[in-house]
Amino acid sequence: MSEELIVQVKQLIIDSLRIEGMSPDDIDTDAPLFVEGLGLDSIDALQLVVAMEKDFGVIVPDAETGSVVFQSVRSIAQYIADNRK
Amino acid sequence: MLCFMFPGQPLSRGTEPADDAEYQTIRKLALDHTGLDIHDFSWNGEPSSESVALQVYGTAMSLYRRRVLSREGNRPQMIAEHSMGIYAALAAGGSIADSDALELTFRIGGCMARMAETGDYALGCMVGLTLEPLLAIAENNGVFLANHNTSRHFLLSGERFGIESAVAEALQSGAFSAKVFPCDAPLHTPLMEASAECLREIVSGYRYAQPVVPLLNHIDQDFLAASEVQDFLLRELLLPVYWEKSYQALRSAGGTKLIEVGVGDSLKKYNRWIDSEAARS
Repeated sequence: MSEELIVQVKQLIIDSLRIEGMSPDDIDTDAPLFVEGLGLDSIDALQLVVAMEKDFGVIVPDAETGSVVFQSVRSIAQYIADNRK
Repeated sequence: MLCFMFPGQPLSRGTEPADDAEYQTIRKLALDHTGLDIHDFSWNGEPSSESVALQVYGTAMSLYRRRVLSREGNRPQMIAEHSMGIYAALAAGGSIADSDALELTFRIGGCMARMAETGDYALGCMVGLTLEPLLAIAENNGVFLANHNTSRHFLLSGERFGIESAVAEALQSGAFSAKVFPCDAPLHTPLMEASAECLREIVSGYRYAQPVVPLLNHIDQDFLAASEVQDFLLRELLLPVYWEKSYQALRSAGGTKLIEVGVGDSLKKYNRWIDSEAARS
């Protein structure tokens, strides 16, 4: 998994969630995304699912998978690296 | 055109501390008119339920944020509301006083809390399914659509066992997220008819002036007139909230800058979803 993909995932989070005043450098790669960290919720998660499918062609099929994928930026990037066509 | 959007009851206490003059004014107003100290959720006198505390807190924080925005020079040209956000919205529109908004929230919340003495109710927060399967799940489990927030974000309301089974069925059907939340009463459903007499008595005890800022209602997306407010306050407790339509109506009416005035940012996130879906189609 490349550092470039990590940065792309951070930019995807910023763009799809319309987070103002934040750059990829401001997001900790390994910090939890939900409740702590960026404080995301299930509304944000679904927005990220759609963005991942659009930008990377990767599908998060269900809540169980989502709970693993959305633990951190690194876990999202890993899932994309493992599943993109 | 600047619009203020007033959210409904928060599901938990906010994490943003406030301690300025406007906050202290609203804190005292809430204490005097409801008995709740919004700072630590303690009650002066007989305590009410956690749901009532959250309802009063939600209204109080909306009133506080509106005062701060006003101090900063923000003057809305339209107002919208979601669920119990109606009380703070009416105050922002000049239809009732801030103290009446708090008192109405507390008294209506108290009336709903009494439903919990004889029933066991819950809410089901559903993310990911579309309306058609969601409505089928609601029907299968004897519960009701309470909020239609976007094409993929819904709230069901009803008896707890029905909500729990609906949540399980939603997850089996591919919902991205489905969770049960506690509540005192089956808000936004026909089951609220059981408390209609108590609720009617409460809402009839206030005078409602014509909103000086157009106030869009969440049921049929019309602007409320003074003569309609009392009826709406009762009707809205028995019918679903249609936020997606309300947001689209705000946009159609010329709304360009929308500010969420209250705890959290759920409405902003729903709007983001609606916008992104429109961009995709």
